[in-house]
Amino acid sequence: MKGKADLKVSGGKLLRAEVEIEAGTVLAASVDGDFFAHPEEEFEAAESELSGLPADSLGDAALALFSRPGLTIYGASPIDIAKALKEAARAAQAR
Amino acid sequence: MRLRLVDTPEGASGSLNMGIDEALLGSVSRGESPPTLRLYRWTPPCVTIGYFQSLEAEVDIEACRERGVDAVRRLTGGGAVFHDDEITYSLVIPLGHELALRDSGDVLASYRSICAGLVRGLAELGAEASFEPINDIAVGGRKVSGNAQTRRRGCLLQHGTVLLGLDSELMFTLLRIPAEKLKGRAAEARSRVASLSDILGREIPYGEAAEALARGFELAWGAELVRSGFSASELAEARRLAEERFSTREWNFRR
Repeated sequence: MKGKADLKVSGGKLLRAEVEIEAGTVLAASVDGDFFAHPEEEFEAAESELSGLPADSLGDAALALFSRPGLTIYGASPIDIAKALKEAARAAQAR
Repeated sequence: MRLRLVDTPEGASGSLNMGIDEALLGSVSRGESPPTLRLYRWTPPCVTIGYFQSLEAEVDIEACRERGVDAVRRLTGGGAVFHDDEITYSLVIPLGHELALRDSGDVLASYRSICAGLVRGLAELGAEASFEPINDIAVGGRKVSGNAQTRRRGCLLQHGTVLLGLDSELMFTLLRIPAEKLKGRAAEARSRVASLSDILGREIPYGEAAEALARGFELAWGAELVRSGFSASELAEARRLAEERFSTREWNFRR
């Protein structure tokens, strides 16, 4: 099941999270938006590492992955990103 | 400090403009091209989206097609932009360049250092502008310029726009402004953006803006701009990237 969530963050940027869950496991998760991440590839690596994780721990896992050393995000915080993903996961599980 | 200045007022498509920026990133990183400031525009008009955005979510593709407007994903983050009556710049310098190292040399500091050239250039035109962190420039609280930066291959690429004129109805037709972003603020969102023509009460031709910005960059950066064109190899690489990356569905719809 897929779930989506939009989250407007302080400063006006918008996060659009999408999570696909099957049998309690994250199949795919992504966060789109008008933020900046340096380097961009580290952000994408964090996104892809969400796949295969238990859906129930997605928020905590995302917080850790997007707080990784070497990744700097401007316009949104790892807490914002984790919150958007958690809401998208909740929407997916409610289907 | 010397920088090459390449001014291309004739304009180019969205895919070629983004191809040129990436080609410059490659050639400057290999030491084949000097640190370069580029001034350009878009023919036809174009919507660009940020690296992390979804084209389908942010842009009415059908409306773009109907109006002959290009759409392309940038290498840089940030939001969707409608490029029409404006002047665009891009700057490609090594991360060890003195302009990239000013203050702390981090991303936020370099936005400020580089945007100081735009603020000075706008003053040349008679607009009292200020840098609005993270990446905007405003006049009287209204945004006239957005800027975006990426750091790859040991170089910094920053590009940005200055709005000369604005068809806000068309802009809001082409861009899907999300309900979440507009919550109770639709009118405010429309009035938050302004063009130099709105602000100064007269038309600002591209050539006048280009001269003013070049002067502003020289004064604010303490730079000498040396006018030149692109090399044949830069243009060949730009065309390749335009064809193989920036005009492909795989790139533009990757999110």
